[in-house]
Amino acid sequence: MARSPITVSGPRSVVHGWEVSTRRSAAALRLSDASPLAKVSVRADADGALADALGVRFRGSRREDGVLVIGSGPGEWLLVGRVGMAPEIAEKVRGQGEGEFATIVDLTHGRALMRLSGRDAARTLAKVCAVDLSDDLTPDGAAFRTSVAKVATDVVRDDAGGGAGESSYLLHCERSSGQYLFDCLLDAGMEFGVEPAGPHLNQDEPAR
Amino acid sequence: MIVIPCPHCSVRNASEFRHVGEAGSRPDPATVTPEQWRAYLYERSNPAGWTTETWFHTVGCRRYITVERHTVTNEIRAARPAGRDGRGGREPAEVLSTRADSGSPDAGGQA
Repeated sequence: MARSPITVSGPRSVVHGWEVSTRRSAAALRLSDASPLAKVSVRADADGALADALGVRFRGSRREDGVLVIGSGPGEWLLVGRVGMAPEIAEKVRGQGEGEFATIVDLTHGRALMRLSGRDAARTLAKVCAVDLSDDLTPDGAAFRTSVAKVATDVVRDDAGGGAGESSYLLHCERSSGQYLFDCLLDAGMEFGVEPAGPHLNQDEPAR
Repeated sequence: MIVIPCPHCSVRNASEFRHVGEAGSRPDPATVTPEQWRAYLYERSNPAGWTTETWFHTVGCRRYITVERHTVTNEIRAARPAGRDGRGGREPAEVLSTRADSGSPDAGGQA
């Protein structure tokens, strides 16, 4: 049985071999654990054939066939998909490389992933992150790696995963920092009424 | 607070970086004299003025960059990805091709 590094209280159930909290929140600002989603890291030449096939460069992201392709660094990508989809994603990328040297690693169990959604999501994040989150500099789809509450974190603005008219951010960090980052964001969001939630595996995430 | 315009990530706070030190090229280990090697390892010019140095963006792109900084005002006039001449600034593709050529990552030092 796989467990997320993040503990969310409430009733639990087992989904695709993951024990997850089934807690839901209807609050205006929600922080949900998304760690069970498949995460695949790809490293290759920043301007090679694989970069072209993936279709995004560093600081951008796009969705394709239910997979969120994130340009998380120069020559570095993170692919996020439905729970249990990692082998499938890795296999697909392997077929796109045209013999180019690349590293494709399933990081699903080594990293924490969470989603902050709501109208006050940017204001919450701004309390623990020094990057300008305005629409001009960080529009929907923007990706960057920075210090969030002093943790090296990949941040992706992915409004499609939030509610209508809301901004939504995916935050990805090392598994061992996951609970800390989750707690820091709950603390930062307290003044905006943030509520924690379990993973929305079938409705909230890239599969949608 | 020093603000560094990272060529990969855009403008970031210096606390995201590690200061590596003054940038300079590594002498060829095959022909260098002990005095030159010592100077390369330990001697720094430490000017009160413009200096060229290497920074590592630890909490960002994880790349080495070369920065021209004024040590008195902390003004930064240029920042670019560290190239072959910057200390430790080789791009991964270059490291890989070196390995493919020599068979060993540091065969250059064995000559």
